[in-house]
Amino acid sequence: MSVVRFEQVVVEREGRISLRIPDLVLEERHIAIAGLNGSGKSTLLRLINGLVLPSSGRVTVDGIDVAREPRAVRRRVGFIFQNPDNQIVYPIVSEDIQFGLKNIGVPKAELPLVTAQALKRLGIEHLAERQSHLLSGGEKQLVALAAVLAMAPSTILFDEPTSGLDLRNRNRVRAVLMGLDEQAIVATHDLRLVESFDRMLVLDGGEIVMDDTPVAAIGRYEAHYA
Amino acid sequence: MTGTLYIRGHSPLHRIPAGIKLAALCLFGLALFALDNWIVMGLAAAVSLGLLASTGIDPAQARRQLTGPFIIVAFLMAATALLVDPLLGLAVGLRLMALLVAGYAVTLTTPVSAMLEVIERLFSPLDRIGLVSSAKIALSVSLVFRFIPVLIDQARVIREAQAARGMEKNILALLVPLIVHVLRSADDIAAAIDARGYPPAHGANRGNAHEHT
Repeated sequence: MSVVRFEQVVVEREGRISLRIPDLVLEERHIAIAGLNGSGKSTLLRLINGLVLPSSGRVTVDGIDVAREPRAVRRRVGFIFQNPDNQIVYPIVSEDIQFGLKNIGVPKAELPLVTAQALKRLGIEHLAERQSHLLSGGEKQLVALAAVLAMAPSTILFDEPTSGLDLRNRNRVRAVLMGLDEQAIVATHDLRLVESFDRMLVLDGGEIVMDDTPVAAIGRYEAHYA
Repeated sequence: MTGTLYIRGHSPLHRIPAGIKLAALCLFGLALFALDNWIVMGLAAAVSLGLLASTGIDPAQARRQLTGPFIIVAFLMAATALLVDPLLGLAVGLRLMALLVAGYAVTLTTPVSAMLEVIERLFSPLDRIGLVSSAKIALSVSLVFRFIPVLIDQARVIREAQAARGMEKNILALLVPLIVHVLRSADDIAAAIDARGYPPAHGANRGNAHEHT
């Protein structure tokens, strides 16, 4: 697990502040980020692995400055996007998993074994030679997760991982998420997904307005924003 | 529509390395265009069909996937036969059929990743002197394979939404939202590629994924 630290972070877009986080340390295993659309959830996640850089302030992962050493941070921090179709870049599942492994310099001889292990961990080894675009939404989300797990990150960021999934696939993703050994930081509207998490942040207008356990925060969140 | 035609198997053609298959296909194509004897073309077409049969593909699937290209070949053959010379038309038809079937057989038996490795190897001399990035070229080709079916699906969704609102088929009305979708997706895809550690460790400082998408 990593320690993610925000120090006086401000993100500006088109002249206005879209996110402001004065001081924040994320070190729990399961952390939820909730908030209405446009509240800054995705921006916060993207700051953690350098897909968005702060206009001012600093984000570090285990002391590594994300803006200065994004490659080092991305070896520690994986990212699962809302739409897995945009995350899977190779036409065959096993080839897609190997894409990330090649990027981080895993030797060619080890690629099949590491790929098989990642797929097996999620129980989807039967998908290895399937064509990516023929998979169901849930299968695509699991393949995207396997591709990230194969790279052995210590933290995984999830941007609305259950959006667009049916009940069965949502439960499947939830079970996988809760069973992860890695730190998971999850931006979501799916409050059932995060009810047993360790911590929940609520964003509103680019600022953190609640920081509590989900047990305490979900009721207040629903009462305020429903 | 599929992103790749590759089928798993253990045929002799499956076992031949991708580089050798692609080189042989190039030579085969060059030889076909250097000759115009219809008997030789007929033999070449028979060899191609033999290769295709050896891949173990389901004949119904091959028929389905080759019907469209064969109609075009038949049209070219008929036009040449009628407008120039019947024997030349026959040679043109057999030549194109031989090449088409051989290319199809190679595609059926070669995974995209193996083809991409050949592309990377081909461009690696230019990569070494800094003229191109072979990894970028391979990734670009892969993205084409991956996202053509996604775009076709998206076009279908847009068309259905328009039809549900009573709109007749209109290529411009289809293209505009499709291009908007492509541009939006391109940003996400580029971010996803960056997030997965691209560019490869040995090719650091060669730009980022936004250049591809």
